[in-house]
Amino acid sequence: MNYFDLFALPHSFEIDLAKLSAAFQSLQKMAHPDKFAHASSQQQLLAVQKSANINDAYQILKTPIKRAEYMLQQRGTDMPSEQTSFQDTLFLMRQMELHEMLEELPHADDIDGAVNAANETLDNEYQILFCQLQQLMQDNNTASDKIASEIVRKLKFYQKLQLELERIEEQLFDE
Amino acid sequence: MAYSEKVIDHYENPRNVGSMDKNDPQVATGMVGAPACGDVMKLQLKISDDGIIEDAKFKTYGCGSAIASSSLVTEWVKGKSIEEAGKIKNTDIAEELALPPVKIHCSILAEDAIKAAIEDYRSKQS
Repeated sequence: MNYFDLFALPHSFEIDLAKLSAAFQSLQKMAHPDKFAHASSQQQLLAVQKSANINDAYQILKTPIKRAEYMLQQRGTDMPSEQTSFQDTLFLMRQMELHEMLEELPHADDIDGAVNAANETLDNEYQILFCQLQQLMQDNNTASDKIASEIVRKLKFYQKLQLELERIEEQLFDE
Repeated sequence: MAYSEKVIDHYENPRNVGSMDKNDPQVATGMVGAPACGDVMKLQLKISDDGIIEDAKFKTYGCGSAIASSSLVTEWVKGKSIEEAGKIKNTDIAEELALPPVKIHCSILAEDAIKAAIEDYRSKQS
């Protein structure tokens, strides 16, 4: 069953998170394995599977990058495998610069200021890509879906940078 | 997950880390990335007029296996012709470093970096 149908939501990348969360909770209540404590073992197993499926669906729809990937798959977009390396040189050069920027953070004169500036830079660049993704997901044709899948790949690099920055912040402010 | 001794050695003492001038006509640059883990790898080769790789440098942001794969590749390609370097397979890298299956993509990345650098060199020549 399509995940959007499961939660009775329109098939759209723009999603009402409050509605998603409410639908998730009511479905999860109905499928909760505790409710089937006295049912046959087959019914119990079904309830556990259903509950797990609802959880997976919720995690995917809740997270924008996963939601986009899921929708693109459903639309039959040809997605490059995870193993395929990414070769957009300009984009990767920028990624190198951003990693270098993060590497320099502990040596900055004003660490707080540098960390804030780094957060802002990453956010801005993420947002620019994300806005493009929103538009492309709405366009919903073969060409736009193909570009959207490239943007999803790019956003993953920003996710990694975001995690790296969080790790550095933890180290810096623990000391 | 335990890294092999060779991975740890390359990770702790990476060979040939650095950058060359990418605008130098003798310098070929290969940039590749792995979206799944966010790794970014830059491999640069200095190639003589007769097509021999005289020097190699790398810079990699990624896990230990990605760093070790690119470090190893810089050692391997030095002194080779670009044709020979282009024949290096990810399986050779993975075998040398005893990479576990979940880290095979790091060796693929290193192989692709060599190919991307050679492509850059050819486009600069033409």
